Amino acid sequence: MNYIQGRSRTTNEIVALKEIHLDAEEGTPSTAIREISLMKELKHVNIVRLHDVIHTETKLVLIFEYCDQDLKKYMDQHGDRGALDPMTVRSFMYQLLKGTSFCHENRVLHRDLKPQNLLINRKGELKLGDFGLARAFGVPVNTFSNEVVTLWYRAPDVLLGSRTYNTSIDVWSCGCIFAEMISGVPLFRGRDNQDQLLHIMRIVGTPEDRVLRKIATESPEITLKQYPRYPKTPFQQVLPKASAQAIDLLERLLQFDPSKRMTATEALSHPYFTGTTNPSYGLTPPPGSMPPPPYNFPHPHAHQQPSQPQPQQQQQQQAQQVPQSQAYTHAQSGIYAQQDAARLAQAQAMAQAQAAQAQAHAHAHAQAQAQAQAQAAGYGGVQYAPPQYAHGR
Amino acid sequence: MEHILLVPLASHSQIENTPSREDGMPHGLEEDLRAYGCKMIHEAGILLKQKQVAVATAQIIFQRFWFVTSMKHFGIGDIGMGALYLASKLEECVLRMRDLINIYDVLLQRETHKVKSHTHPQTKKFHYTPMSYFGNTFYDLKDAIVVSEMQILKRLGFNMHITLPYNTLVNYLRVLGLTDRDDVCSRAWGYLNDALQTPVYAIYSVPTIVTAAIVLTTRHLGISLPSTPPDCWWELFDADWEDVWIVCGHVMRLYRQRSVEDCIRVAALINKKSVREWLEKNPTTGDQAMAVIRS
Ligand SMILES: Nc1ncnc2c1ncn2[C@@H]1O[C@H](COP(=O)(O)OP(=O)(O)OP(=O)(O)O)[C@@H](O)[C@H]1O
Ligand SMILES: [Mg+2]
Repeated sequence: MNYIQGRSRTTNEIVALKEIHLDAEEGTPSTAIREISLMKELKHVNIVRLHDVIHTETKLVLIFEYCDQDLKKYMDQHGDRGALDPMTVRSFMYQLLKGTSFCHENRVLHRDLKPQNLLINRKGELKLGDFGLARAFGVPVNTFSNEVVTLWYRAPDVLLGSRTYNTSIDVWSCGCIFAEMISGVPLFRGRDNQDQLLHIMRIVGTPEDRVLRKIATESPEITLKQYPRYPKTPFQQVLPKASAQAIDLLERLLQFDPSKRMTATEALSHPYFTGTTNPSYGLTPPPGSMPPPPYNFPHPHAHQQPSQPQPQQQQQQQAQQVPQSQAYTHAQSGIYAQQDAARLAQAQAMAQAQAAQAQAHAHAHAQAQAQAQAQAAGYGGVQYAPPQYAHGR
Repeated sequence: MEHILLVPLASHSQIENTPSREDGMPHGLEEDLRAYGCKMIHEAGILLKQKQVAVATAQIIFQRFWFVTSMKHFGIGDIGMGALYLASKLEECVLRMRDLINIYDVLLQRETHKVKSHTHPQTKKFHYTPMSYFGNTFYDLKDAIVVSEMQILKRLGFNMHITLPYNTLVNYLRVLGLTDRDDVCSRAWGYLNDALQTPVYAIYSVPTIVTAAIVLTTRHLGISLPSTPPDCWWELFDADWEDVWIVCGHVMRLYRQRSVEDCIRVAALINKKSVREWLEKNPTTGDQAMAVIRS
């Protein structure tokens, strides 16, 4: 997989091209299938937009809206030893929960929220990216893969072995990211599954047996072991810089018991966001995003880009005159570019050649009349499996 | 709130005039080949001990595919393999390519044998010959899977949202107070599975199909439900009677008596090469099919 920065000939917008090679052993990678089928539909300011997909014999090229850097790099560059200032934390946290809540309302689990998968653009907008592990959960399936979410952001129920988890696992990850933005370091840094669970218990405390048993009844795949009895460490002690409201929100996001975790949608109206402690934010934040961080959002990699192209506005005016061709040319620079002229040229040539085709297949099913189908939860409740083809011959 | 992950259904013109029919394939033959491809997916699924959700998903993907592609360009065997492979990824129970290839090889050899023993009655009993490690079969089938999977994704625009009907069935039976009748549950469940061999999941909404399964079940078992306007039970589920009836028709057609010739004809048309040859030999049938549609 490679990321290349490019520019759309149609709109003159800068785009990010993600190349995925098709494997003769495994065909199209599952991650690409998930990413494309879900991101095509999820259109929201806080979700990276997938503009188009180019399909060739040997690879897939996904064309995304361009973002300057991911949250991890942002924290490294702008943070005080990684820690972001409270205004930025609040803005990013709000946007993270907005994007997550939008996914959940549309019955999509992200399953891999972490700073590297959150992208920040010049306007200070935060966007959820990398839907390679995401899945729709309206589909009545009772067991999901347990191999989800990068270890440090993985919810305790998943660590215990749950396969019937729900949106609350993304909420857990949001909580971990929240703490990390405040302190600059990941909150729970385990070595492996078991160690991760112990790291969590050392801070949130080992749940009572009653609670553990309840979690295990709700997800029967879980097998419980003996755990050391850790008392709860107050979050204020772990994150001395955090405000009381921030701590309160964190507390609700990082509940060991998944059924006790706040939803992303509920979290958006937590006093941490709506409270009046900071008069610069009204009761109802503007749709989509909190105001960007209060300082002038610095250009993230100015030092790497001595020959920055013309100012944005001018580019946008030019865009009107560009002929309607679906091709992408490459910008002069970019931190994601592999500075490999041959590959850039090749990708560009391919993009042009495939343009017509790409458009054709994007509309392949366009006429299909869409119809939402009523769905109900609880496939797991079906206890019997009647014989298949009972009446077939 | 309205969900944006919608289940795509075929358009009216796609249903009226499928790509295969445009290429001259008679309606009945396409119907048979669709059903046959789905049966192969089902059999392969059982032999591979694959989860039923993945098998059902594969069959629905398979049915959708023929609304955007002609059987002259892709064979039902290849697309069946590709659909099963893809569905297994979607349902997080990935199949090993080698296992899928071995199983399809058995099924394909069996079909070839079936056709052969029909034309040459002296043919010996079916005996599976494992593929040679040095032959091309393995690589050809592997290639076919990768290409089919990619073509399915491409031609269906990566829209892989599928709703299976089982959940809805359980809810409807609960509403109708029929959950404690095991015979009702298993029969309706069976109709839903059999319907996977027809294109209905690509044409009608899940509530319509589930209602049809309940209609067939209650009629068969002689259970009476309120059916005189304004108290028609299917209206509880927003199902349109005419659509429900059409779905019932699709399913019932699966059970009609078929001649040996019809069965053999289908078994001989699993790959696109044989379909092309058949279309060349039977050019008028296509025109007749078109004439029927136009009239
Ligand atoms: N739209 C974008 N614009 C700019 N940079 C991006 C964009 N999308 C991704 N990147 C950069 O590329 C990195 C990898 O992208 P992404 O997470 O999509 O792929 P991945 O490597 O397959 O994921 P993972 O390694 O988590 O499995 C991101 O962490 C980010 O730094
Ligand atoms: Mg990533």
